[in-house]
Amino acid sequence: MSEIIIESIRSLMSNKLRTFLSMLGIIIGVTAVITVVSIGQGTTENVTSRIASLGSNVIIVMPGISGGSGRAATQLSDILSVSDVEKIRQMCPNVSKVAPILQRSSNIGYENQNTVATIMASTPEIFDILNLEISKGRKLTYEDEENFENVVILGYDVAQEIFGDEEPLGKNIYISLNIGNSSIKKLFKVVGIMKKLGSKLMYRPDDSIIIPFSSADERIFYSQGKVNSIIASADSSENSQIAMIQIDQVLYDRFDTADKYRFISQESIMETLQETTAILSFFLGAIAAISLIVGGIGIMNIMLVSVTERTREIGVKLAIGATRKRILWEFIFESVLLTFIAGVIGILLGIGFSKLTEILASDFNLKTSVSWQSIAIAFGASTLIGLFFGIYPASKASKLDPVEALRYE
Amino acid sequence: MNQKVVEFINVKKIYDMGEVKVEALKGISFEILKGDYVIIMGPSGSGKSTLLHIMGCLDRPTSGKVLIDGEDTSKMNDSKLARLRNQKIGFVFQSFNLLSKLTALENVELPMIYAGIEKRKRKKRAIELLEMVGLGDRLNHRPNQLSGGQQQRVAIARALANDPPIILADEPTGNLDTKSGEEILKIFKMLHESGKTIIVVTHDPDMIHEGKTLIKIKDGLIEGVEVLEFV
Ligand SMILES: Nc1ncnc2c1ncn2[C@@H]1O[C@H](COP(=O)(O)OP(=O)(O)OP(=O)(O)O)[C@@H](O)[C@H]1O
Ligand SMILES: [Mg+2]
Repeated sequence: MSEIIIESIRSLMSNKLRTFLSMLGIIIGVTAVITVVSIGQGTTENVTSRIASLGSNVIIVMPGISGGSGRAATQLSDILSVSDVEKIRQMCPNVSKVAPILQRSSNIGYENQNTVATIMASTPEIFDILNLEISKGRKLTYEDEENFENVVILGYDVAQEIFGDEEPLGKNIYISLNIGNSSIKKLFKVVGIMKKLGSKLMYRPDDSIIIPFSSADERIFYSQGKVNSIIASADSSENSQIAMIQIDQVLYDRFDTADKYRFISQESIMETLQETTAILSFFLGAIAAISLIVGGIGIMNIMLVSVTERTREIGVKLAIGATRKRILWEFIFESVLLTFIAGVIGILLGIGFSKLTEILASDFNLKTSVSWQSIAIAFGASTLIGLFFGIYPASKASKLDPVEALRYE
Repeated sequence: MNQKVVEFINVKKIYDMGEVKVEALKGISFEILKGDYVIIMGPSGSGKSTLLHIMGCLDRPTSGKVLIDGEDTSKMNDSKLARLRNQKIGFVFQSFNLLSKLTALENVELPMIYAGIEKRKRKKRAIELLEMVGLGDRLNHRPNQLSGGQQQRVAIARALANDPPIILADEPTGNLDTKSGEEILKIFKMLHESGKTIIVVTHDPDMIHEGKTLIKIKDGLIEGVEVLEFV
């Protein structure tokens, strides 16, 4: 056995360029698989942790989607309203907090500095539901809400952008609004700054400012009680399913259909994510399989050439007493060794590329993660390819007629 | 010393090439006794190489029986035949047929690898054999670093690796100059004296001079068997 290993290595070493070229298909295939899977895995982990940042007891109600799927689909607007929020508050025992959200992008500024921010109009509950923490000043209060106060809490990045080193608390920022052709500016007093929080699924508090729902409804959006979404939290994460059913009851009673609203929860997003990942993995797997098969055919081709070239050598070996089985194993081992080495190189390159991707894409906060499973699968697959595509050339070699083989020039 | 090492009983070999059938051997019977030095002679195309290949179990006869060391080869499967080639027969070819990637030493070791002999033992024996054929200082040379005569001596050492009783050679001096040929003849003579049975296909008059028995072949048939007595 050890002689077969040494002989295979020697045989592969005797024509290094050809060996390398014949491995290229497998190397590229394995490298691609490892890299792509690691990016996919990293992204999934990233998204998963972002979803988890929402909190497992958070339930978001959005307007339903009408008119098919894809681009044709449009979100129903003007469906949900503050009265729904009230009903949910009163009729859902397992909902501990609920808040309306009105959301719009707008120009905001202070003196000469301005930027575009997401204006989130909501009630004080939003801070608890989304776990929005304050670094300076205060959160919204019920008094702000009742008195239609023009106060604002700034997201971390927004505060940085318009105030820089200056103290924002107590300053008045403007929110600029386009009504018809004219644009008007409303002043809001900064009463608090949020910590840097990262994204909370569909909300990005760092790029947002939060103002009282009442004053936004009256003075900015003129939305007459309509809301974009309703956000709620269950009294515990175990009860989030029950809380969702209770909310569904309320909304179904009002609309008489389940089509006009939909739920977003950590669980439902996870499910969608898992489905998407499964589909993605399937396609990646298919591409990987094709590239490995193509690589395998390359290996078979080179092994067939090698058998032809070594016909006389095979004849000599048979003449001095090698069994056909031995010839068979020599060639199978050689092709397995070939693809195994290609697999190792591919795995190393794949790890390298995924690290490189991470460095190059560090701006996008892209993480990659090479799993042991993908390494094991890459090893297994490349070895099996060598075995599978090596069998035919090897059996051809082992079936040569010794006299014919010896006469071969 | 009258033990039969090779026995042919009405051996025929027909090459079926579709339209035409070539009858290379048309029914050959003879026997070779242990320790003989047999010269096979005949015109080109008369079937000498075919005969030698069948004798060396590289090929099976179309009909007839071949007994090697008393064993009927027609009843053996491929792996039994491989073992027989490995243990009982040493082949020496006109064109040496060494493996170009291996050193002289490794070429000689090869039949012993197939015989399953452990590394140290086979290396020792390979060195002894190469020293015997006068190549003790060429152990790690590759075939392309050796002269024709030296290559043929490595091939003889390889044929002797598993100490087979029978040495078959197909024009072993055919590709060599007179001087190198003479060295090969000396080695064959020595092997014969040590008790090996030697069967050589050759046109080389010097080699014929060394032989003890002459088998003449013509058109796939034995034309005559002579006992050679040179004084
Ligand atoms: N594989 C084969 N297929 C068809 N015919 C063959 C084959 N091998 C040999 N022959 C034929 O068998 C006959 C004997 O061939 P063989 O090689 O035994 O001759 P030989 O006596 O060794 O000749 P030479 O002295 O030229 O080597 C020839 O007519 C040859 O053409
Ligand atoms: Mg011949």
